[in-house]
Amino acid sequence: MKLIEVQNITKKYANHTALKNVTFSIETGTIFGLLGPNGAGKTSLIRILNQISYPDEGQILFNGHILSPKDVESVGYLPEERGLYKKMKVGEEALYLAQLKGVPKRTALERLHYMFRKFEIESWWDKKVEELSKGMQQKVQFITTIIHKPSLLILDEPFSGFDPINTNIIKEEIIKLKEQGTTIILSTHNMTSVEEICNDIVLINKSQKVLEGNVAQLRQQYKTHQFNVEIDKTNIEIPENFGFKILAQKEEYNRTLLTLQLTTEYNSNQLLTQLMPYGNITNFQEILPSMNEIFIQAVNENRK
Amino acid sequence: MKIENNMGKIGLIIAREYLTRVKKKSFIILTILGPIFMAILTILPAILANETQRKMNVMVVDDNDFFINKFTDTENTTYTYRSGNIDQIKSEAFNNNYDVVLHILKGTQSLNSNLYYEEPPTLDFTSEVEDQINKLLFDQILIDSFRIQPEQFSVIKELTRVSIRSIQIDEHGSEKEKSAEISSILGMIFGFLIYIFILLYAGQVLRSVLEEKSNRIVEVLISTVKPMQLMMGKIIGVAMVGLTQFAIWVVFTFLIIAGFGLAAPELFTDPQTIEQVANIDSENINPEAIEQQLLESETIFTQIDQYFNVSFSTLIFCFLFYFIIGYLIYAALYAAVGSAADNETDSQQFTLPVTAPLLLTLIMLVPMAENPNGSLAIWMSMIPLTSPIAMLIRLPNGVPAEQLILSMVIAVLFFIFAAWLAARIYRVGILMYGKKITYRDILRWIKIK
Repeated sequence: MKLIEVQNITKKYANHTALKNVTFSIETGTIFGLLGPNGAGKTSLIRILNQISYPDEGQILFNGHILSPKDVESVGYLPEERGLYKKMKVGEEALYLAQLKGVPKRTALERLHYMFRKFEIESWWDKKVEELSKGMQQKVQFITTIIHKPSLLILDEPFSGFDPINTNIIKEEIIKLKEQGTTIILSTHNMTSVEEICNDIVLINKSQKVLEGNVAQLRQQYKTHQFNVEIDKTNIEIPENFGFKILAQKEEYNRTLLTLQLTTEYNSNQLLTQLMPYGNITNFQEILPSMNEIFIQAVNENRK
Repeated sequence: MKIENNMGKIGLIIAREYLTRVKKKSFIILTILGPIFMAILTILPAILANETQRKMNVMVVDDNDFFINKFTDTENTTYTYRSGNIDQIKSEAFNNNYDVVLHILKGTQSLNSNLYYEEPPTLDFTSEVEDQINKLLFDQILIDSFRIQPEQFSVIKELTRVSIRSIQIDEHGSEKEKSAEISSILGMIFGFLIYIFILLYAGQVLRSVLEEKSNRIVEVLISTVKPMQLMMGKIIGVAMVGLTQFAIWVVFTFLIIAGFGLAAPELFTDPQTIEQVANIDSENINPEAIEQQLLESETIFTQIDQYFNVSFSTLIFCFLFYFIIGYLIYAALYAAVGSAADNETDSQQFTLPVTAPLLLTLIMLVPMAENPNGSLAIWMSMIPLTSPIAMLIRLPNGVPAEQLILSMVIAVLFFIFAAWLAARIYRVGILMYGKKITYRDILRWIKIK
């Protein structure tokens, strides 16, 4: 089932078009990567999803109906530029934001205390926000983003500013939310995290969609038939006449490490049989492109 | 259901704006200090004026031998005369309970004199001594040079005294005596109060919008509520803070002054009436009589009704009306300014055109108060950016009903326009970070549908 269907969205500003006829959809209960270089139009799209601004053309379906003002309570939004009222007390501020999202006071307090305990920030309840470190403020903000149990969570660079430990806590929390059925849009430049946790992605460049699909599938799709091979012998010389090319060869601890490019008419088993006579093959692995490489490749292709 | 929900959210915003401000130390301090300050301003002159009651024993040493036995003793001042070495007289005088020693130095045309004391005398005392010296010299010159007896001179002066009473005739032909001075002072006070309120609290709206924008929290907020709700919630919340503070000030100032009034009634009634009361029972002043007096002084409201061409209730109503509408207009404009700017320094280029009419009105305060029905005052009381102050300045002197109503209608219409305009600038402005905004940008935002 689809939670979000973005249909032919176009958004124009005075001097430029931020989004041009963008269409894609997001499955319920998945983590969806919204990718693109700076200035590609991601923020414009996020603002439209948040109903902060409205598209000039096209529409957005939320759970099958046209996105309407009452849906804002089903959306949680963590903007890239974080911000809280500095002079307010942490607890009061979290309660205020929860109430604004339509959570009744009593429920909000229960959930907040539970979350504060979980994130080990219970003792900060009565502190002023400005007394907290940046990372602590991020935690508070993350809590306020999910406090109303939104069915759609939009996270813009959620890991920036967190140390590795806290990044992991947040990452685990995101995965847990997904397992509970929350749909999550993750807008980030951190491609490792995309590979790790995203199911599907859409890549926007210069206001247009240039790539979309399942992360595992895309990596297969973009693979270039390269392999890493490790043979337990040194000083071997392999002729390049078997339908592959040697891209790199080096020796380490009495082993030879090869990076090979296979031409398309051969498969990996044929390659293996070719290599076996030269020694014991201790490692054989296909190189899948990283999301980073796919990102750069897609953007560069788009540039041409 | 939806409307209820939205109202609830505006309520939350108002409550936050209100509570965070009211709980601030600066608010509490200002709220407490305000009435004390006001009360001091009211009571201090009364106390100072009262100090003339102190009995003064004056030792006069005149090197010219002219003033000997010529000073007139008054209720509180008695003069004694000595001649000889000033230093010796001084030390003797202070040992013998004299309060001051007046040493008039030798001279012919202009006289110099020194006043020695251990405790500084009141200004009133010093000026009384000066007056007496001047009068004595003046009378001597009248006799010596003009051969006129001082008594004759007083008669001449009495004969040529002119006094002007100003009486206004209204359209029904009835006459009303009024005090132009009191009217214009009251007008200036009202006008100035509104100016302060607008500057303080509309300025807070500006800073609050800027804070949310530079904090980036605004993005989270307007993903939940409409920009218009956020803006109006803020404006109303801050207004309530202002009204709360104002109400506390009024009540406490009144209580403090009334408290002093009961504790020391002589401070607040003029000596004549005190004498009258004292005459009723000269030995000990009858508390009931004093109470009666206080009651009478409370009829200041009826006095205002008599003095001015508007009733007291109209005056209060108009004050509150312009107080609120003036704040609302400026708060809306300041909110727009705050949204368009990126930081406080940046905001100044936009605040200037908004603040200029306010400053202009303040500069024109005195000319308008002096000529409340002149064309300057009339025009400024019609233009909505200046009318909240200008109309209040004019009001105690009487303003034709049609002018008052017209001015109010213009102000309300302009507020609706200002709120609309501000909302259009605000909704775009709050999301514009890191860009230098020009007036052309703002014009474009207004046009965006």
